[in-house]
Amino acid sequence: MNTIDESGPGRWSRRGFLGLGAAVGGGMLLSACGGGSASGAGQLKFWDMPWGQANYTAAAKKLTEAYTPANSLPAATYQGIQWANFSQTFSSAIASKTGPAVSTGGGFQAFQFADQGAIAYADNVIEQFRKDGTLDDFLPGQLDAMKTSKGYAAVPWQLDFRVWWYRKSLLDAAGLKVPTTWDELLTACRTLAGRKVFGFGTGAGAGNNLGSQGLHLMMLNNGGGLFDPDGKVDVVTEANLEAMRFVQELVRAKAVDPASISYTTDNLITQWKNKKVAMGIHTAGLDTDTGETDGDLQVMSPLTGPSGAKAGLVFQNNIMMYADTPSQEGSEAFLSYYIRSMKTLWQQNVVAGLPVLKSIVALPEFQAQKQKAKIIAEWVPVAKTFAAQSPTLFGGLAAVDSSQPVTQFAQTVLAGQDPKPALETLQKALEAIVK
Amino acid sequence: MTVTLTRAKSDFPRTGKPVSARRMLLWLVAPSLVLLLLINAYPLVYAALQSVHDGSLINTGDYVGLDNYRATLTSPAFWRSVQFTLIFTVVGVFGSWLGGLGLALLLRTRIPGRTVFKTLLLLPWVVPVVVSSTAWNWLVATPQSPLPSLAQALGFDTPLFLADPVLAKITVCVFKVWISVPFMMMLIGAALAGVDHTVYEAADVDGASKWQQFLHITLPMISRSTYISWILMTIFCVNDFPTIFLLTGGGPVDATTSLVVLSYRTVFQNFQVGPGVAIAFLMTASLVVVSVALYRQIRKAHV
Repeated sequence: MNTIDESGPGRWSRRGFLGLGAAVGGGMLLSACGGGSASGAGQLKFWDMPWGQANYTAAAKKLTEAYTPANSLPAATYQGIQWANFSQTFSSAIASKTGPAVSTGGGFQAFQFADQGAIAYADNVIEQFRKDGTLDDFLPGQLDAMKTSKGYAAVPWQLDFRVWWYRKSLLDAAGLKVPTTWDELLTACRTLAGRKVFGFGTGAGAGNNLGSQGLHLMMLNNGGGLFDPDGKVDVVTEANLEAMRFVQELVRAKAVDPASISYTTDNLITQWKNKKVAMGIHTAGLDTDTGETDGDLQVMSPLTGPSGAKAGLVFQNNIMMYADTPSQEGSEAFLSYYIRSMKTLWQQNVVAGLPVLKSIVALPEFQAQKQKAKIIAEWVPVAKTFAAQSPTLFGGLAAVDSSQPVTQFAQTVLAGQDPKPALETLQKALEAIVK
Repeated sequence: MTVTLTRAKSDFPRTGKPVSARRMLLWLVAPSLVLLLLINAYPLVYAALQSVHDGSLINTGDYVGLDNYRATLTSPAFWRSVQFTLIFTVVGVFGSWLGGLGLALLLRTRIPGRTVFKTLLLLPWVVPVVVSSTAWNWLVATPQSPLPSLAQALGFDTPLFLADPVLAKITVCVFKVWISVPFMMMLIGAALAGVDHTVYEAADVDGASKWQQFLHITLPMISRSTYISWILMTIFCVNDFPTIFLLTGGGPVDATTSLVVLSYRTVFQNFQVGPGVAIAFLMTASLVVVSVALYRQIRKAHV
């Protein structure tokens, strides 16, 4: 019995083993080098973020799979993407040419990738919308922000607002009216502090951007912002300084929980639930996040700042198309279909954001959500984007929202420190990031 | 089998392998070598290139020489991170070593329920960091959390465990020690099990106290394992991203931003890929220096 070169059934010869090794190695090499386009067997890949509660993804997947392409255009497949590390997910997929053909994503993602040549502009889709009247269905000003010098970077599909909320029962118990100006807000905060309740609920801990976004809203409310009309970083302005000094006054009045600079979003929601917070800046979904849609949590009307200005902060979430696609015509057809058909998501009440189409706003299912309907009625007209005072969005914004300098700034100001050096530090840091 | 052994002996004499056999061995290891190169060398080389370019996550960008390294080394944020990384590592390594050693010595004695005790002590190491960081957040984050409530009940001011820069540093370090103690306990426990008991008996006969036995027998006898545990824990601490990021996100005001957190935030939040990768390379270089120094200690170790 010669066992060295034995190759009976079920046994491996050396040659066979080497051959298998080579085949496996070669196969891996091929699969690694082969890359891939944005198609899976000629299909369009649609990547979508979790934009609502658990039932959102199922509804969006169903909507995607209901798409019936015309003629020879490709069908679409749905892929849910988690928010955790989503920038890496998209960037690595695009770099390796395995990314989506169409996707939702971060509010400024389309502009960021457009700067890097990875976006297919949506001008054809907009033109088609112009012809068939869909364009008139968009709320005023929504499409303008998507326009760049090279074309429309994306098409907006829902709005993510930062607005002031209040808990009616706590204000009633303190004998307070809902504030309408900054002065009234400060007075209310002082009264609430006497009752061991915080008047400016916020959080700037791990993964929580509500603190920095809230401060940004205060700047906008005072006619300021992070950028000048040309899109240049312009942080150290009188308007911003006045707004931040007002926040410092709120901190001194014990309106801000000292622990809030480390609050995660969950911590902050817990404080709202525990009735430790009477007023604060939050997303449009605070009532559903806390599970309290009985009317005790209500959206305020936009506050009037010292200069008489009103403002809301809005993130226009959008759907973008990528240059790497099995069919540009197919991507455009799918995007048009999705925008026209997405009202079903609001009819099922699975989206946390607000619609951009008037026809969806008019739906009885949406109007039944009183707080969201109030935001559309009162906050949309005064809304400003993250880029304010610049009229258009741009790629550098992706690096600003939730960046390290912005978080650090929020934690510094909310800790009650002098806002002027904090603004100067922020200016320098943002100049290094936004090029 | 006898035939096999006989042939093997005749084909591969003790004096050296024939060329054909060497070639075959080379073929056998070739797939693994290729995979290793692909998995390790390619990303390393690509990252090195990124560190000298001004690129994005998608494009490599323009060559900028050592500008990214220069900017990193002159950045106050970098040196603040170096300082915290040192604190975090020193506390993490020696805190967990002391805790692990203490528990390993305790569990060497015959105490009732030792096995159950051992299993329970392993939990911090076994439970995913995401779960344990959530539990710690629940323990300390808000004024109504259990630990701040306890402090208030004892008459103290409400401690801001995660919002005060100094307390946040302490909390993160304690969290790291708590997670790492079971690992150290296992490693040192295994080393202690290998120490010959007759040495202690001889020391007893010579009149050595327990403290003298611990200093002059136990510590030297487990020194090799101790150095290995220090090397491993140093690497774990310097590279530890989730413990810090999940608990504090690096805050407040960068107080708990370690080098790995700074690198992540620079690349993936500020989208400054070149400087972020440069931080990672500097971190790796210093880690190699520390590891080599500790490895030399292993070779000098008594046992």
